[in-house]
Amino acid sequence: MKDNPYKISAYCRIKEQRVSVNGEIILENSGIDFPAFIKSVYKYFDTDYPKFFKMDNLSKLAFMAAEILIKRGKIGLEKNQNIALVFSNRASSLDTDRKHEDSIKDLDRYYPSPAIFVYTLPNICMGEISIRHHLYSENSFFIFDEFNPGYLNDYTHGLLEDGKADKVLCGWVELEEDAYDAFLYMVTKNGPIEHNAEAINRLYKRSWEI
Amino acid sequence: MSKGIAITGMGIISAIGNDVAENYAALLKGRTGIGKISKIDTVHRDAIMVGEIDFTNLELEALLGLSHNNNYSRTALLAAIAAKEAVADANITDMKAWRTGLVSSTSVGGMDMTEKFYYDYLESDTHRKYIESHHAGDSTQKVAAQLGIEQSLVTTISTACSSAANAIMFGARLIRSGKLDRVIVGGSDCLSKFTINGFKTLMILSDTYNTPFDENRKGLNLGEAAAFLVLESEVVVQTENKKVLAYLKGYGNANDAYHQTASSDNGDGATLAMEKALTVAGIASSDIDYVNAHGTATGNNDLSEGRALIRVFGEPGVPDFSSTKAYTGHTLAAAGGIEAVYSVLALQHDVIYPNLNFKTPMKEFNLLPQTVLKHKELNTILSNSLGFGGNCSTLIFSKNP
Repeated sequence: MKDNPYKISAYCRIKEQRVSVNGEIILENSGIDFPAFIKSVYKYFDTDYPKFFKMDNLSKLAFMAAEILIKRGKIGLEKNQNIALVFSNRASSLDTDRKHEDSIKDLDRYYPSPAIFVYTLPNICMGEISIRHHLYSENSFFIFDEFNPGYLNDYTHGLLEDGKADKVLCGWVELEEDAYDAFLYMVTKNGPIEHNAEAINRLYKRSWEI
Repeated sequence: MSKGIAITGMGIISAIGNDVAENYAALLKGRTGIGKISKIDTVHRDAIMVGEIDFTNLELEALLGLSHNNNYSRTALLAAIAAKEAVADANITDMKAWRTGLVSSTSVGGMDMTEKFYYDYLESDTHRKYIESHHAGDSTQKVAAQLGIEQSLVTTISTACSSAANAIMFGARLIRSGKLDRVIVGGSDCLSKFTINGFKTLMILSDTYNTPFDENRKGLNLGEAAAFLVLESEVVVQTENKKVLAYLKGYGNANDAYHQTASSDNGDGATLAMEKALTVAGIASSDIDYVNAHGTATGNNDLSEGRALIRVFGEPGVPDFSSTKAYTGHTLAAAGGIEAVYSVLALQHDVIYPNLNFKTPMKEFNLLPQTVLKHKELNTILSNSLGFGGNCSTLIFSKNP
């Protein structure tokens, strides 16, 4: 097999009221629902971005995971960096789709909101991250039945190999009602961790079992 | 300098005509297709103007010879009419003679039927056949069936108002990389309450005729349309001794990374898209003879695009430019296809279409669109399509490969 020149430089996990970076627990806030929890994460990491409060829950989750990874993973984000985004999940934007459907299903109380409607696509969360960090780069959002490290690995490898991106921010951002799970990692040319399907799967498991 | 991809056929249906010849005649006469809405029962009837196609769905079904129990959305009906014209124009008699693909685009898909029958679906099965035509890929599948494209690449692109431009770009790349010999590319969008209400909520619909690049512009008029091009490889053109209408010389796609529905103040995405397209074409900005601008007549687009034009071409230095949105309205996913047809016609006839309804220059810069029909030798045209989600695409068409 050809030598794999790409590495994972940092990773972040947000699940069940716990935030960890590179396998180290940074924050735990048990006993609160997602909106309260993600707001506490926003505050803990001194995030100054009022637009966060307009986002839907999936975007808030993905946005904070990226934010934390960039801040704590010591990833320099100069302007015009060519960082591609490759995200995935199982429930697409179903959580917000249902909110939108609730607002139109009853003819007598029909009141759709554009503020909700704009989030009825899963890839909008990547748009929020792109806007925040001025990323004019490739992005793709895939829907899988379960976490699919093989596909993420191959797709990311292709982007880097073809010169479409210098770095790739990858992972899984899943949210449905009160169940949420974000696992993001950065693939670069340098880093302490191997980049292949097995290694990604190991990190995904280990980042939760700590 | 890379060689352009040959365009050998085109078809179109819009508010200013049901085929290429009718569209061209209206462009020359300065005849707009904008008026009051007649086919959709909307509470906004008196507050908006639209570019509506005259044919009813029944008339379109008859033109296509569809049976009574078909489940074509209006998007699919328009797409089939325009795609068939393009294929006939390219003199394609045997679809299977070459590896032929279809890349079609839409933003609204079958929403026209869904919004009409949404509550009815629960009550009776009379219209449930339309549930299957809701998704964006449905109109593409129906066009593929109409054209007899069975075992090849058939796919749909939905990137808001840059959709058809991206379909054209993708088709060209499929030919350039040798994956296909021939690709039919374009897009279709019908009017629907969904789009009317969405744009109304964003407060970017004009209550009168749209006025691109005018200081007092009040917003856009929505339009419905479909347009398709036939792209063919050099081998097909040489083997069959095909007549080439023009060449797709360059293409570029970039993201504005600014806002879900607004363009950035300085037109970052549009600037990047134009620069990439010029690089792919291997030409300088000074080689562009005419810019068919996106020019939707919203406050935001025309300022952002104008600034991007200045960043790419310099001020002075921006070539003759005009927007044709005052003729057709903004046809959303189809716009890049409509304006590709208009760009090819401009090259064929050496003519620049007037930017209708322009009166007052914008105060932010000294850009004056071409306001009367102008005959001038044209070799290279740049066409912009800028969409929601920061989707910015540029196509460059030329007379010579």
